[in-house]
Amino acid sequence: MPASQVIERICLEKRHIMKKTLIKMGALFLAGGVALAAQAATPEEDRTAFTNHYKFRFPDVPMEEYPNGAYAIDKIGRENWEAIEEFPPYEPFIDEGQEMWETPFANGKTYKDCFSDGPGIKSQYPRWDKKQGMVITMALAINQCREANGEKALKYKKGPIVPLMSYMAFESRGQITNVVIPEDDPRAMAAYESGKKFYFTRRGQLNFSCATCHVQNTGLKVRTEVLSPSLGHTTHWPVYRSKWGTAGTLHRRFTGCNRNIRAKPMKAQGEQYRNLEYFLTYLSNGLTLNGPGARK
Amino acid sequence: MRTKRLLSVLLLAVTFVAGTGVTLAADAKAENPKAVKAQMEIDKADKARKKAASVESEWTTTGKLIKKAQAALKKGDYDTATRLAKQAGEQGEIAYEQGASQKELRMPSYLKY
Repeated sequence: MPASQVIERICLEKRHIMKKTLIKMGALFLAGGVALAAQAATPEEDRTAFTNHYKFRFPDVPMEEYPNGAYAIDKIGRENWEAIEEFPPYEPFIDEGQEMWETPFANGKTYKDCFSDGPGIKSQYPRWDKKQGMVITMALAINQCREANGEKALKYKKGPIVPLMSYMAFESRGQITNVVIPEDDPRAMAAYESGKKFYFTRRGQLNFSCATCHVQNTGLKVRTEVLSPSLGHTTHWPVYRSKWGTAGTLHRRFTGCNRNIRAKPMKAQGEQYRNLEYFLTYLSNGLTLNGPGARK
Repeated sequence: MRTKRLLSVLLLAVTFVAGTGVTLAADAKAENPKAVKAQMEIDKADKARKKAASVESEWTTTGKLIKKAQAALKKGDYDTATRLAKQAGEQGEIAYEQGASQKELRMPSYLKY
């Protein structure tokens, strides 16, 4: 069945089920977002295209503001955020994470034995691991370290991994995002392309892709939320979200985004989300790491 | 001793009657064409849901509808069960087409290279 008919059928389904406002939004998105023919581009061409898109949309926003997410483009939200940052809700997570970092495993070793440059090593992730043939994120590396030292792996969306990652992110503040896609291993480029494909694939009952919200409609509102640009999406994790009432990981946010569009989420730290993180973080190359963060 | 025996007989009788009742009810459900149809639609919907999942395109709403349909069937509300299952089945089919039609990456027109 051609894509146009699929979209048409999804629209019909929406008409039956969705509220009026959502239908109007969907129609608006579809009208402007009908997919065109496949376009091959290098990662650097992708990054340039994204950067130019946001520069055109928000000419007054300097590039160094993008790590602040929606608060780079939402003045009212920014005032609230700046007030929250005076007493950051993620601070207890940093303290708890430091304690975890310094506490030896049962075998007497510590995280430092796995991450000799640690704890401030966030700019080294996500990275392509030629030996394992996969994208390694910081969360995955933490659990690989734990398991190598006879400890149980931590859950990836919330719980004890969050304070540890918060501490490591805090210690990495000021570093520059620098994702490398090694040219000597075609599997690395395939992982990047897979993440890019995920990003642009429409899914869920609302038939949205990541790009629908975060490229096409950046700056517009979904209910009271201003849609953030994708540049800077990966710089500030873990994040204390007021909605969650706690801090969580980037993959928890991926899960939430997918649920919002009524698509069944993928597994946190599964291949799809790791590749998505690889693609998304590459887009933020050159931007400063500023995690952990606070968001609504 | 006599009371004990009497209680045992009574217990056996109750178990027998209840057991027969459950079997009869189950048989009635199985023979009811509406129940059969509802079950058939639920199976079809679940197959469609799995098909959508095979192209990583399952919707969160489909499984919920199937669960509601199963609950309605259990309660004997066969019409509701059939209606919900049909809706879930349609969702599964559309979700599959949504995923299958995007097998290749297609860049949106709004991002200029």
